[in-house]
Amino acid sequence: MSALAFLAPLFLLGLGFLVWPVLVHLVQKDRKEVVEFPSLMFLQRVPYKSSRRQKIRHWLLLLMRLAALTALIAAFARPFLDREDIALTGAQVAREVVILVDRSYSMDYGDRWADALAGARAAVRQLGPEDRASLVFFSAGATLAVRSTTDRTVLFAALDTAAPGTAGTRFGPALDLARTVLEQSNLPGRHAVVISDFQRAGWDGDEGARLPPGTTVDPVVVSGPYEGDLAVGQLLFQRNFRDGLERVETTARLVNSGDREVEDVEVTLELDGRPVGSAAATLGPNGTALVTLPPFTLSEPFMRGSVRVPGDALSANDVAHFVLSPGEGFSVLVVEDGSDPRDPSLYLTQALDIGTDPAFDVEVTTVGAMTAGDLAGRSVVILNGARPPRGGVGTRLREFVEDGGGLVVILGERSSWPADGPDLLPGPLGPVMEPEWREGRGGTLGRIDYTHPVFALFAAPRSGDLTDATFFRYRNVQLAGAEGVLARFDNGAVALAERQVGAGRVLLWTSMLDNYWNDMVLQPIFLPLAHQLVKHAGSFRPPTPSYTVDDVLNLSQQGEGREADRLLAGLAQGDRDGLVALSPSNRSIDVGGGARPGFLPLAEQGFYELRGAGGGGGPGTPAVAVNVNLGEADLEPMDPEEFVGSITSPDIGEAGDAGAEIGPEDRERRQGIWWYLLVAAFLLLALETIVSNYLSRKAASQP
Amino acid sequence: MARTAVRPSGPGTGFIDPRVLGRIHNLELLARTVVDGFISGLHRAPFLGLSVDFAEHRQYMPGDDIRRIDWRLFARSDRFYLKHYEADSNANFMVVLDISRSMTFQQDGISKLDYGRYLAACLSYFSRQQRDRVGLLTIAGEIVDYIPPAAGHLDLVLHAIDRIEAGGAGTLAQPLFELTGRIGRRGIMVVISDFYEEPDAVVDAVKDLRYAGHDVIVFHLLDPAELDFPFEKPASFQDLESEARLPVVPGRLREGYRELIREHTETLSRRFVEHRIDYALFNTGTPLDYALFSYLSARQRLTRVR
Repeated sequence: MSALAFLAPLFLLGLGFLVWPVLVHLVQKDRKEVVEFPSLMFLQRVPYKSSRRQKIRHWLLLLMRLAALTALIAAFARPFLDREDIALTGAQVAREVVILVDRSYSMDYGDRWADALAGARAAVRQLGPEDRASLVFFSAGATLAVRSTTDRTVLFAALDTAAPGTAGTRFGPALDLARTVLEQSNLPGRHAVVISDFQRAGWDGDEGARLPPGTTVDPVVVSGPYEGDLAVGQLLFQRNFRDGLERVETTARLVNSGDREVEDVEVTLELDGRPVGSAAATLGPNGTALVTLPPFTLSEPFMRGSVRVPGDALSANDVAHFVLSPGEGFSVLVVEDGSDPRDPSLYLTQALDIGTDPAFDVEVTTVGAMTAGDLAGRSVVILNGARPPRGGVGTRLREFVEDGGGLVVILGERSSWPADGPDLLPGPLGPVMEPEWREGRGGTLGRIDYTHPVFALFAAPRSGDLTDATFFRYRNVQLAGAEGVLARFDNGAVALAERQVGAGRVLLWTSMLDNYWNDMVLQPIFLPLAHQLVKHAGSFRPPTPSYTVDDVLNLSQQGEGREADRLLAGLAQGDRDGLVALSPSNRSIDVGGGARPGFLPLAEQGFYELRGAGGGGGPGTPAVAVNVNLGEADLEPMDPEEFVGSITSPDIGEAGDAGAEIGPEDRERRQGIWWYLLVAAFLLLALETIVSNYLSRKAASQP
Repeated sequence: MARTAVRPSGPGTGFIDPRVLGRIHNLELLARTVVDGFISGLHRAPFLGLSVDFAEHRQYMPGDDIRRIDWRLFARSDRFYLKHYEADSNANFMVVLDISRSMTFQQDGISKLDYGRYLAACLSYFSRQQRDRVGLLTIAGEIVDYIPPAAGHLDLVLHAIDRIEAGGAGTLAQPLFELTGRIGRRGIMVVISDFYEEPDAVVDAVKDLRYAGHDVIVFHLLDPAELDFPFEKPASFQDLESEARLPVVPGRLREGYRELIREHTETLSRRFVEHRIDYALFNTGTPLDYALFSYLSARQRLTRVR
């Protein structure tokens, strides 16, 4: 129920003064001055009609004047409707409106983008004269295109120049931005218009994004008929080395999200923009398929390729780009003691030789023959049952590790670490231990830190059981604490420990990798474990064939085999000054240069080229591929009401508290009824003036 | 001026403003007019050969009435002389004064009734100076006071004029009809009224006097406010006779009223002339002597064309 209240009711006493002219008018005839006249003989002929007109005219003007005065007095009394909803959402209340337009690439499906623009323009047109509106375009991120303006032209212009992007949908950043705008507004009303196809993939409901209390949300769903979508999903690359050449076989995962079968889809492989092969695939309704494309030779670094399917209603996910470079040598130097007639590194070298990702370049030497030059270009040095080199070589080894190199120390019977040797071990070496484990049946690995990168590969079920290996001997290592211990035997002795030295790291394996101290080398997990040990020690990171839109490439973080290393290695040192990135739309992005390159936001689908001061471009230019978020291809919508309910305050008490804060002054100010009354009063007075003058002129013109 | 004259203490004497009488008496034109028309003896007598005494001869001047040439003397002297006669007192002079309440209206200055009193007194006095027999009839819808014409009734007439009390309506028909039956001897009848009746009714009432053989002179008295209607403020106008009220916005109907009153006076004037009745409209704002002077001048011109 609404009730009319007044902020200054004492002004209503002024209505009493209105009675005075009414009474004067009513009793005017009686109180009028009486003039004695000889005869009304002639006056009664002409004046009777005039007199009657005069009375009518008086009534009209009197009513208009009374209405004007009443409006004036009521305006001064500051009336307002004592209703909460009117105070908050009434059309008369000035609102801060945030229009959020989804520009994810799913909006490019069918007529969704046109419908979204139409909905946004309709929202702009529905703005009240006192409303201010902000325009937010969002996909994976959110951009405040227009901030809190009353100028509709600016809003329309921003909408005219907008286009769907290539990123996926995430409502969270957009809602956070809208919340910031709404909270900073001093307008009484808060309103948000969310224009989207409301993909369920864009909202997990647990992002914590919530609009301020009292905000009303108007969801505008744009969803036309859905005719299915065929997308190129994940790409898998199988590298093979043959005749000194690295050949890559590409397998593409295709996704059919339509209800109809798709037959004989031609999948095309392009290299540097030229088709080099194709394959056909048939996908069932809502099915997937793996398509293997003809292999190609990686002849140059940063080779750009694409896997493409015929275009459909959603074209952004019809292609997947990648950038591949020939495999870089991961050079490993295995250092033996040289006194063991057996080949202590047999299993280890064999395990590393069959590695392809990366391809290990293994060289075996003895500690006595080792020179400082042997460390050049190495990624990892493995001291396989050998002592560390002495003298200058030992010093160089420490420098190697401190500069980021990896050192794997495998302790055997002849392993020793002299006191004057380089300080690299996690702890001093102890004697060979041969405990009576389970009555001679040996021990196993007991506690393993599966969260560590070395063992993370085996963390999942059926990913290999490290406890299958049986250990009979090991070298005892005394560590000050538990820090750095990655695995222990079941008797608590250290099996694997790690120490960070400078930029590099040292891994200490306490049991010789042969089939005498343990049978680890005979277990299936030995191969991957050896690879993991070496890759982790050498900080190996696999190259990234593609990124996803809205990823950020951090070029400032180098080392440990990061992508920046590979990208910047493709540029001459002089070219790193003034480093710029050329986006797929040929937009130049300054990413810094020199010793401290910056960040490169990947906002577009396609290839980003890195160019130095010397220009560049063409084959061999460092580049990264950027693909759309495949999750956006899932167009399954969610219930907009569910979405609205989760972003608005469900706590009635909270909303009530917010409403209770609105006092009568605020309500009166928000409704602004006094202003309309004032305008009405002036209009009445103006009309009264016009009518009065008109009647006067008319009466004067009459004989 | 007559309007501001101080009334003497004696009854009737206060109506005669010596300055008014002096100005009129000194005019040659007044003398001719009064003698020739207004006062029996000097006026062209309606009944020729009766009650006239020879006074003197005067040489004919161009413009004089040739009917008054003494042809006998012309025969004797072969020159033209006019005969001048002394007026006698055998003519009746009757003032009919309307004393209805409408005559009491005064906007600024004197009322129409007072103006009519002065006028009646002046005319009676002059008539008596011409030895006419003066009488008075006051009417207010009916006869209020009647003094029959007689040689010695001037004092009565002046006394009656002095004690007039206004009241009643202003209709003329009934009292004038009665007056016609009361006066057998023909004479001069002066009717003084504001004539707030329809012109036909007024003329019908007055013409009976004319048809009874009287020489009728009508003085129409109106206040300047009745002619110009200068009122500004809206007010309730009250009829002095019927006491009816009417809310009036003067500015709205001033022109209409002026047009009606002008039409009324013109109609009266035209209708009276049609019946050979002298009509004169007197504005009470005009000095009394000037009104008399104007009337007597007009009277003289009328006499010449007869």
